[in-house]
Amino acid sequence: MSDLAKRCIAELAGTTLLVYFGAGAAAITLMIARGTDTGTPFNIGIGALGGLGDWFAIGMAFAIVIAAVIYSMGRVSGAHVNPAVTIALWATKRFPAGDTGAYIIAQLIGGALGSLLFAASAGMDAVTIGGLGATTPFPGIGYSQAILAEAIGTFVLMMVIMGIAVDRRAPPGFAGLVIGLTVGGVITTTGNIAGASLNTARTFGPYLIDSLLGGPDLWVYFPIYIIGPIIGAVVAAFFYDYITGGEAKAA
Amino acid sequence: MKCYICAKEGRSSDAVAVCIVCGMGLCTEHAIREELEMWEGGYPFPARRVKAKIPRILCPECAFALKGK
Repeated sequence: MSDLAKRCIAELAGTTLLVYFGAGAAAITLMIARGTDTGTPFNIGIGALGGLGDWFAIGMAFAIVIAAVIYSMGRVSGAHVNPAVTIALWATKRFPAGDTGAYIIAQLIGGALGSLLFAASAGMDAVTIGGLGATTPFPGIGYSQAILAEAIGTFVLMMVIMGIAVDRRAPPGFAGLVIGLTVGGVITTTGNIAGASLNTARTFGPYLIDSLLGGPDLWVYFPIYIIGPIIGAVVAAFFYDYITGGEAKAA
Repeated sequence: MKCYICAKEGRSSDAVAVCIVCGMGLCTEHAIREELEMWEGGYPFPARRVKAKIPRILCPECAFALKGK
C-alpha cells in the first residue's frame, strides 16, 4: 500500500472519530432535551438543559477528540481532518496539490462513516431527533450571517494551527491540546449561530447519512459550510504569513 | 587521551573516540558507534524519515542505560 493511501486512511479514521464523538455529542444533547420547553425559538434544544453549558459540553467533546486524533495520527497524515485546513495549507504552498484532493475525499468519507456508525450505535432517534448533529443556521440567522460566523470561527482555528503547529518556532507538543480547546471555545460561543462546524467534512457526514436514513434534508445549507470554512482558513493562512513576514516558512 | 575502560582494567590504550553522553575516552574496542534514524515533520504535516542517519558514539555503560541491552 502506498504512503499516500495509508495517510488517507489515517485522515479517514480521524474524521470518523471527530464526527462520531463531536457531532454525536450534539445529537445526544438534542435527544436528551427532547420534549423540554425551550422557551425561545432561538433555542432548538441545545441549551435547554444547561444554557451555554450545553454548548460548552459539545465543545469539550470536540476538543477532546481533536486532541486525541492529533496526538495519535498527527505524525502519520498530519491529522488535518478538515478540508478547509488541507486547502489552506495547499494554498500557501505547504501541502502538495497531488495529495490535497485525496485527503479531502478521505475526510468526506470519514465524516459520512462517523455519522453512519453513530446512527448504528444510538439508533434512529439520533437521526430523526438528533439529526446526527448536523449543523444549520439557527432561527433568525441568515445565510450570509452563517457564512460569516463559520468564516470567523475557522479563521481563529487556522490562525492557531499556523501559530502552534505550522510555524517552526512554535513550542512542540502543545498543538493537539491548544487546537482542540480552540475549537471547543469557538463552538461554545458561536455554536448557536450556525452550529460552528468550521469543517466541511464534519457537516457533510451528518447531511449525507440523514438523507440516506430518512432524517432532515438540509442540503440547501451545505454551501455555508463549504464557503465559510474555506474562506476563513485560507485568509488566516495568508494573514499569518503576512504578519510574520514569511518567517514562519523560513524559520 | 587514553581509554577510560582500559585504564580501569590496568591497561593503556589510546582513545580514538569520546562518548557523546558522558565524555569518556574510548579505544576502538570499547567505542560503540551507531547510526540513529532522524524524523522531520509532524502535525500538521506527515512525519518523514530523513535519508541521512545521525552517527553516535557511546561507551558501553551509556549504551546500556539508553537502550537496555
